Amino acid sequence: MEFLEIKNLSKKFDEKCVLNDINLNLSSGKIIGLLGKNGAGKTTLIKLINDLLTPTSGAIFVKGNKIGVETKKIISYLPERTYLNNQMKVKEIFRYFEDFYDDFDIQKAMRLLKDLDLDENQSLSKMSKGMKEKVQLVLVLSREAELYILDEPLGGVDPATRDYILDTILSNFNENASVIISTHLIADIERILDEAVFIDKGRIVLQGDTDDLRRQENASIDEIFRRMFKC
Amino acid sequence: MLIKLLKYDLKYMLKNMSVFYILSLFFAITTRLLSLPEQTIMLDILGKISSGCVIAMIANIVINTMMRSWIRFKESLYKDESYLTHTLPVTKSDIYNSKFIQTLIFFLIGFAVVLLSLFTAYYTPDAWTTIKEYIRTITIGFNMSTTFFVSIAVIVIFLELFNAIQCGFLGIIQGYKRNSGKVGFSVLYGFIIYLVAQTLVLGLVFAYGLFDPTVMELFKTGTISIDVNAFKTLAIIASILYVVIILSMSVICKRVLRKGVNVE
Repeated sequence: MEFLEIKNLSKKFDEKCVLNDINLNLSSGKIIGLLGKNGAGKTTLIKLINDLLTPTSGAIFVKGNKIGVETKKIISYLPERTYLNNQMKVKEIFRYFEDFYDDFDIQKAMRLLKDLDLDENQSLSKMSKGMKEKVQLVLVLSREAELYILDEPLGGVDPATRDYILDTILSNFNENASVIISTHLIADIERILDEAVFIDKGRIVLQGDTDDLRRQENASIDEIFRRMFKC
Repeated sequence: MLIKLLKYDLKYMLKNMSVFYILSLFFAITTRLLSLPEQTIMLDILGKISSGCVIAMIANIVINTMMRSWIRFKESLYKDESYLTHTLPVTKSDIYNSKFIQTLIFFLIGFAVVLLSLFTAYYTPDAWTTIKEYIRTITIGFNMSTTFFVSIAVIVIFLELFNAIQCGFLGIIQGYKRNSGKVGFSVLYGFIIYLVAQTLVLGLVFAYGLFDPTVMELFKTGTISIDVNAFKTLAIIASILYVVIILSMSVICKRVLRKGVNVE
């Protein structure tokens, strides 16, 4: 059984079809890049996996379960926007996660927070957008989840932090866990990807093992992306 | 999980509402202190201002409880915070129940603070006697006990407000099913649902009136000078209908939420 199975998935907003008959199977223990231009449907697909959108048709299964309480227990999701309640302090958010997620490791969260020069007593209302994004990243990576979904994790951070994030992703998830990363910054993440899924106009246009793709196309993933989506 | 959700919803509301509770009680105490006999004109003026503030705070508590409940509902389920709410390993029913219970609890707390503020600011043996006499006049006219009259009045007002909150929740759920104009449609749907709920209550009371001529008199004469027994029946029926409507709306909200959301 595949870890993540997407069957004939479509999503329409009014008459606009954002995802069109997507079929995708992903196995566990892989880092998968979800690659595509702006508006290709990457975030819509991620939101559907996380129950933030309702499919127009088709179905998604994680470890054989339809999206619901059981799948949310094992998915750790980093959205592309900040969702934290500004009235809370960092340590209160940690307690919140500890309350709801059995797999949240507060010691690890404290360690990652310290690495990123953040203070647990600081109120979120006094933090910049970048700092809040780092707190969210700490929250997501401090869970012992089976699937991590990171939507544009590198978008709002400086290059030094980008390297830290990539190293943290590589060193902080267990070998049976999978990671789906959606990003435009392909050159930055190429080194860590096991598989790449190219998505365009709501359809999967190319998918495969990154080494195989490089060999077949005789180019890096970044170059394949640039060729495929050349304006 | 419901208890955990409720804990955080209550914390949020308490953080936002406590300032109004404290101000209401503070002005109630200052009104009391400034209403002592033989005051200077300045203190008398300050007393009047303080008294006005008590009334403003009481109105604020009622309005804010409603507004905050709706805002909290919208933010948790459909705005940025929804990215956390809907990815928690909890059912949609638990999310809804938490908001429902949180609103109920804060209406009760608000009600208690309002009573306490009024008592602190304005209680005098004379005022109390006047109020009791006024209520007694009404209850004698309707041939009912004071306890029954006060209880049923409080229950009907409470249910009416809670019904309005529920209409708002259902309006938000329906409004946010659309892809554009979500806020505007939430208000519109909430208003329409409220009108439908009120019409339903009125229609069912009318239907009951077909079997009870005393209740039908209300519709025929168009005045509130109705039979004593009809008033009691009307109050009890209205309360029961409100409870049924509130619970029905709650079931509808949960069913719609279970079908899935589309957050921005």
